[in-house]
Amino acid sequence: MNDPYSVLGVSRNASDDEIKKAYRDLARKYHPDNYHDNPLADLAQEKMKEINEAYDAITRERSSSSGKGGGGTYQGSYSGGYSGSGSSSSSGGDLGRARNAINSGDIATAERILNSCSVRNAEWNYLMAMVYYRKGWYDESIRYCQTAVNMDPGNYEYRQALNNMTAGGQAYRPGGYYQGNQGQGCDMCDVCAALMCFNMCCGR
Amino acid sequence: MFGYIRPVQPELRVRELDLYRACYCGLCHTMGDRYGIASRFLLNYDFVFLAMLLWTGDMGTDICKKRCIGCPHKKKAFCKNTTALEKCAGMSVILYWWKIQDSIADEGFLKSGAYKILGFMLKRAYRKASADFPEYDAVVRDSITKLSALEKAKCASIDKTADCFAVILKAAAAAEDDPRRRRVLEQVLYHTGRWIYIVDACDDFAEDISSGAYNPVAERFGLHESPLPEDIKNQLKITLMSSRNQAGNSFELLEETAWSDIIRNIIFLGMPGVAEAVLTGIWKKKNRK
Repeated sequence: MNDPYSVLGVSRNASDDEIKKAYRDLARKYHPDNYHDNPLADLAQEKMKEINEAYDAITRERSSSSGKGGGGTYQGSYSGGYSGSGSSSSSGGDLGRARNAINSGDIATAERILNSCSVRNAEWNYLMAMVYYRKGWYDESIRYCQTAVNMDPGNYEYRQALNNMTAGGQAYRPGGYYQGNQGQGCDMCDVCAALMCFNMCCGR
Repeated sequence: MFGYIRPVQPELRVRELDLYRACYCGLCHTMGDRYGIASRFLLNYDFVFLAMLLWTGDMGTDICKKRCIGCPHKKKAFCKNTTALEKCAGMSVILYWWKIQDSIADEGFLKSGAYKILGFMLKRAYRKASADFPEYDAVVRDSITKLSALEKAKCASIDKTADCFAVILKAAAAAEDDPRRRRVLEQVLYHTGRWIYIVDACDDFAEDISSGAYNPVAERFGLHESPLPEDIKNQLKITLMSSRNQAGNSFELLEETAWSDIIRNIIFLGMPGVAEAVLTGIWKKKNRK
């Protein structure tokens, strides 16, 4: 394994607080939410694992030498994205196969199955939206997802996906890279608040 | 490529601005050295971004000083030839060549004559570049042909047309050895390309409406009048923001280099600023001055 200190980008004699901060910044950057239904989700997960292991290693090392308790890593409430969760509406058959193909990242197969489907129900539109989303065809994906929501307004999964899409997806923004004249030293709360406002503005 | 991908200079550190300028000058020198003087006029910001992204290894002592025709009174710092600069120089020649060929086929007699002269000036440069990067040449030729066919058929999907252009940028990463790095770069470049195509379509909107030319945005939303309605602007903002977010999130998965903070400035500050300026119409006014 790489040196845990270099994984977190801190020096060996950094204070506990500095390490915690470095860890939090990195965890925020590679948070699974930022890579929702993303073709690079696996790489982000790898990074997250590396960072968690490094942080664990450092806290273990330090607590064994000083007798203090460790900090506890971020475990993540991530459940595999909306395509994986709540598939109650799945009708099995072709749509089920298409859904599995999307979940395993095989977008070309999913697209082929969907194009040969004869049903054009809400779920079909939703799955098409997911295919286009993975391809980065965001305009089409919103169109299909909107149709899915219109056809089945009560479905939480479709609404959730549409909200995410119209918010432009989750995005990491490094500190200090804000448009306009926002303060330089923004903390986690500012970031969350900004993202929430952003969401509300865009996801009317 | 159109020069939409640029940093917000006041937000760069002084040393970053120096580095950025050195990269810009380095690309210009590399183009001149490898493909002749005419190719130097193709230099633009978008390819400097590409060079920084494709850069591998340390900066070290790769910066020298030299006079050049653009600024004869003072020696300027520039980055020496590197694989990344050579790739970008070749790729920009190839891309412009095929854009010119496409315009010759499409435009009327007078305009196509002007493009023919340009094509003539670039012929030798193109021959060399296409021999240097044959795979890239093939991708660009195919994509430009496909794009041109979609435009003639008045394609109403911005994703489909933008995809043809995005694939051209994505192909710049095809020769990367490390598969992980290649995957990440392909995402960054695909979405940068998609973003450029859509921003350009927004920028040309008013002009295309008045001249009756094909415009992907006009076709997608069925518009026949010039100022873009606010609700459509919002939809365009969302789609542009999605691509920029994807480019940014993907970029963060790459190893840090000397260029990382400049690239962050471009993605997180430059691109949103340009998109805003284009959609509000400030961009055209500013660039005309």
